[in-house]
Amino acid sequence: MKAAPSKAAETVLGILIPPACREEVLGDLHERYTGPLRYFGDALSVVPCVIVSRIRRTTDPQVLLMEAFALYLSFVGVARISGQSSILYEPWGLLRLAIPTAVTLIALVLADAYADPAKRSPIKPMVQTAFCIGVAFLSQATFWATNPDLAVPLRIMLYGAGLSLVLVSALRVFFPKDDNRPRGAT
Amino acid sequence: MAQPPSVGQFEQLVLTAVLTLKEDAYGVTIHEKVGELARPKSISLGAVYVTLDRLEDKGLVSSWLSEPTAERGGRAKRCYRMEALGERALQESTATAQRIFDALVKALGKEGARQWGKRWGKEASG
Repeated sequence: MKAAPSKAAETVLGILIPPACREEVLGDLHERYTGPLRYFGDALSVVPCVIVSRIRRTTDPQVLLMEAFALYLSFVGVARISGQSSILYEPWGLLRLAIPTAVTLIALVLADAYADPAKRSPIKPMVQTAFCIGVAFLSQATFWATNPDLAVPLRIMLYGAGLSLVLVSALRVFFPKDDNRPRGAT
Repeated sequence: MAQPPSVGQFEQLVLTAVLTLKEDAYGVTIHEKVGELARPKSISLGAVYVTLDRLEDKGLVSSWLSEPTAERGGRAKRCYRMEALGERALQESTATAQRIFDALVKALGKEGARQWGKRWGKEASG
């Protein structure tokens, strides 16, 4: 009987590999399996590559730039009009506002890479954006608990997140990601 | 007729593997073939996946999922096929390699060019 990788190892790898290429990559690793050491080596070489390749395929630099602009503008704009504009004039104020922007962007890029192309829904852009802004809230919660100097005031976060949700969702509706394989692929 | 995009050396190796393997071109076999062609360099499976994705985006190869098999733990293969544009890109790069070799033959003579190639091969493997 041919040796096979453990179910636990395959489950962990299955979580790490984006759904769009999970089937074939897990199958190839299974076929190449001769022992746990080689399997681990193969996985180490393959997983980062397939994630990067998937990010390259699912990320449109122009849309990403627009999303970054929309997110940052939301937080800066809300800070300006919400009566908390003092943050804009603090030494690291603008950088503090860039933290939730950067976290949301990273979450959006990863969410696109890990999105299952088989599952499509008209509300997906909004749900995905809401989830990624939620991740930004989590990062802010960590700052509030550990280093409040780096945290963005709650009011700016709340209103900024609301505005970001509208703007980024609209961008995603107007510029949908084409995550299909390009030619003749199934 | 669309002009084929230029392809790098590693892409040429992957395209050659896809072309020679015909119906049996999928991740594992392509990686083995590229490993043979790139000897003495060792090639990672991840690099092959990245290159296949890029070639597919350029329209040089296309892919589809086969039926699942037991030897793969009940999982399907992603099979690859060379597209006409890919064949033309490979033909162009082969013609370029041939022109390089011809230029070497002209400058060093046939035996000199062969010795030069062998020496380079030894240095690369050593």
